[in-house]
Amino acid sequence: MEYKYQDILKKCSRCGGCQAHCPLFAETGREPYVARGKIELIENLQASNIQWNDRLAEIFSTCLLCGSCSENCPNEVEVVKLVQMSRKDLMAARGLPIIKKNIFQHLLKYDGRLKTVGKLLAFYQKSGVQKLARGTGILSLFPMQLAEKERILPRISGKAFRDTYPDETGLKSPRLKVAYFTGCVTNLVTPKVGASVLKVINSNNVEVIIPKQYCCGVPALASGEIGVGKFLAEENIKYFKDLDVDYIIMDCATCLSTWLEYPELLKSQDAEHLAKKVMDINRFLIEVIDIKLNPPQELGIKVTYHDPCHLKRTPGGKSNPRELLKHLNPNYQFVEMALADRCCGSAGSFNLTHYDLSQKVAKHKIESIAKSKAEIVASACPSCIMQLNHSLQNSGSKVEAKHVIELVAECYK
Amino acid sequence: MDSTYLKRIIKTIGKENVITEYEDRICYSYDGTFQRGIPEVVVFPGNTGEVAEIIKLANIEHIPVSPRGAGTGLSGGSIPEAHGIALVLTRMNKIKEISKEDLMAVVEPGVITGHFHQEIEKMGMFYPPDPASLKTCTMGGNVAENAGGPRAFKYGVTKDYVLGLEVVTPTGEIMRTGGRTVKNVTGYDLTRLLTGSEGTLGIITEITVRLLPKPKDKKTALVYFDQLKDAAKTVTSIIYEGVIPATIELMDRVTINCVEKYTKQGLPLDVEAILLMEVDGSPAQVAEDIQIIEDVCKRNNCRNTEIASAYEERERLWKARRAVSSAIVQLKPTKISEDATVPRSKIPEMVKSLKEIGTKYQLHLPVFGHAGDGNLHPNILADKNDHDEMERVEKAVGEIFQAALALGGTLSGEHGIGIMKKPYLQWELGEVGLNYLRAIKKAVDPNNILNPGKIF
Repeated sequence: MEYKYQDILKKCSRCGGCQAHCPLFAETGREPYVARGKIELIENLQASNIQWNDRLAEIFSTCLLCGSCSENCPNEVEVVKLVQMSRKDLMAARGLPIIKKNIFQHLLKYDGRLKTVGKLLAFYQKSGVQKLARGTGILSLFPMQLAEKERILPRISGKAFRDTYPDETGLKSPRLKVAYFTGCVTNLVTPKVGASVLKVINSNNVEVIIPKQYCCGVPALASGEIGVGKFLAEENIKYFKDLDVDYIIMDCATCLSTWLEYPELLKSQDAEHLAKKVMDINRFLIEVIDIKLNPPQELGIKVTYHDPCHLKRTPGGKSNPRELLKHLNPNYQFVEMALADRCCGSAGSFNLTHYDLSQKVAKHKIESIAKSKAEIVASACPSCIMQLNHSLQNSGSKVEAKHVIELVAECYK
Repeated sequence: MDSTYLKRIIKTIGKENVITEYEDRICYSYDGTFQRGIPEVVVFPGNTGEVAEIIKLANIEHIPVSPRGAGTGLSGGSIPEAHGIALVLTRMNKIKEISKEDLMAVVEPGVITGHFHQEIEKMGMFYPPDPASLKTCTMGGNVAENAGGPRAFKYGVTKDYVLGLEVVTPTGEIMRTGGRTVKNVTGYDLTRLLTGSEGTLGIITEITVRLLPKPKDKKTALVYFDQLKDAAKTVTSIIYEGVIPATIELMDRVTINCVEKYTKQGLPLDVEAILLMEVDGSPAQVAEDIQIIEDVCKRNNCRNTEIASAYEERERLWKARRAVSSAIVQLKPTKISEDATVPRSKIPEMVKSLKEIGTKYQLHLPVFGHAGDGNLHPNILADKNDHDEMERVEKAVGEIFQAALALGGTLSGEHGIGIMKKPYLQWELGEVGLNYLRAIKKAVDPNNILNPGKIF
């Protein structure tokens, strides 16, 4: 582990304060699953008292990277960084699980291949050729019932979002020009979110460019596959650095937080420069555009909001989405729920690799949503939204999770 | 560990409640200190009967047992120093009863103190002990260590609220002490003996505590002093005037500078001390008390006073105090938090001694803490990887204890002796006192099963 991480390690006093804030400790009550336990293990690894093995791999994969522990740590120990770097060390020592290796090496690095898989998956889901998936054995890598697996897998859109829209929208005299980093989920799973972004932005006389782009790299980075993460980051920087745009907007909180880490990852001036232009769509609409809305009908549908972990710690990350929802009054009536900023348990592929635990974490959120009496739960991260919808369905709830921008787009014809 | 023995434990409490893998056991080797001891097995019993069963088995095989709550202790009390069994009580976490009529509650040891506060405060009641770790620490751990907190000055510490206990003795029998009444003089006061016994005399499996009605009002004052001695004099004068604030927190200049550098909230850097005081009670009482405090501060040459009553405003005043912990680790990463306590009137002398010790051993030694009850928390900031520095820390700690004892104080106000202060115990108790403790331990724990090697 690099030297600067030693300094982070030294800060932990083992006070145990993280126990009160860790969603996984709340479910398991076990020290290996809380920050302090992992830090003790890292120190033992460094002292060669223990070596990476199956048990440690399991312990270090059992973290949501939600950052609640760091946020509440009296010594501000940056646990997310420590866990990511440990996963990197783990990978260096033992290699990635085959499935993840294949995804990272062969899919994420090639946008076309990712799209092809998306299309195959869409075909599979539409045609019901279950043998295809069962035969490949991919699903058997995840420890849950087959039916559950098939249900949690995103319903892939037949056509990738970025293929259905022109690269530029071509406004005559736009007030601003932005580049849109769509992220993989919007591109492959929920093109409706992308369409909503374009509709809202264009209606506010802002020119949008959708440049060629790759996955932001978070699945690789979170798994410790730093090399692939860097490759993807560099590719993205390459396609975005020469654009003449005022901002780079995103609808995905996770992509946003990854872009914000590009400067530290790549240590390049381009990355530094571009990270300053990156902006969440909610913040852009409130702080830059100062959006005015005329909600069409007076329905008064109650909507609550779930804070994505990756958005809530960015500037205005908590206030802007709520502000935007309040703009939808009287069509929508915003209600705050308890535990709004608690992790939903999605955490990338955590909800596949640790399905039961992930659902236990989600349960608290689902209960909060129910208590709020909201009919819709809005959020600003596509993977949170997928997790919320899956868990809502599991609990038999009629509440639907949607992206804030989808609700905003309803105001425009 | 003998595999037949392990099998019997597993049979008693279930496989899912027993941890044997090395990596997992490492995660039960620590507490809030830098002491370590890896247990041979970690067990999570779910009820008193299971605890008793495990202790009986441990007696047959002569295996040491270290009871553990959330593992937030600051003296090494729950460290499985003798290896053996780490017995974790967090699964026993039910609040069994809250009675407004009798002003008392019955809880299992694994109940989190902060959670208990919330539940009873919802019902208009109040449980004063408030250790800094209250969001995490457990009621059982609080009783075992006799935990305190900032409110101790007015309200006392854990032992002042424990009415009765259910305990598994070191030989595995189940015993009840005290009861549900405030008055109880039947037999020796075993409740008090067990409160603060640091897991050496019994495993606490149920706790009956008395409660108070929740105070109706609260006001907070933040006061700056050019001279530390004026701040100290203010504390004594306030008490002279008959006002007992719930908390009086002191921050010295080093601490203030650290906090300001870290939070940039505009604290004056040229003051020598800040006092943060909170009064609670009926609205009339609170209004009168805060007025007296303001007058006393003025008479004692304070620079200025800020007073707040609304929750947000009070929190703003608390901001500096709450930031201390994170602010001071910016100096050096390893924090050695001591809790030597002196009679209130000796605070100025103790602060002076602490400064001299810090200078003598070239250590960062900011002073802040509970000035009202003389429980200053001298914190030494060092780097645990710097052996030379850690040696100086050890010497400084010894001198801090000597200074406290010379002023009529004690080694530990609220953290306990555990492993950390064991070498110094004789200074305070003498050989006779130590032998008395040893005799009690030997009488109730003939096989030396429970937390051996702790305290003495």
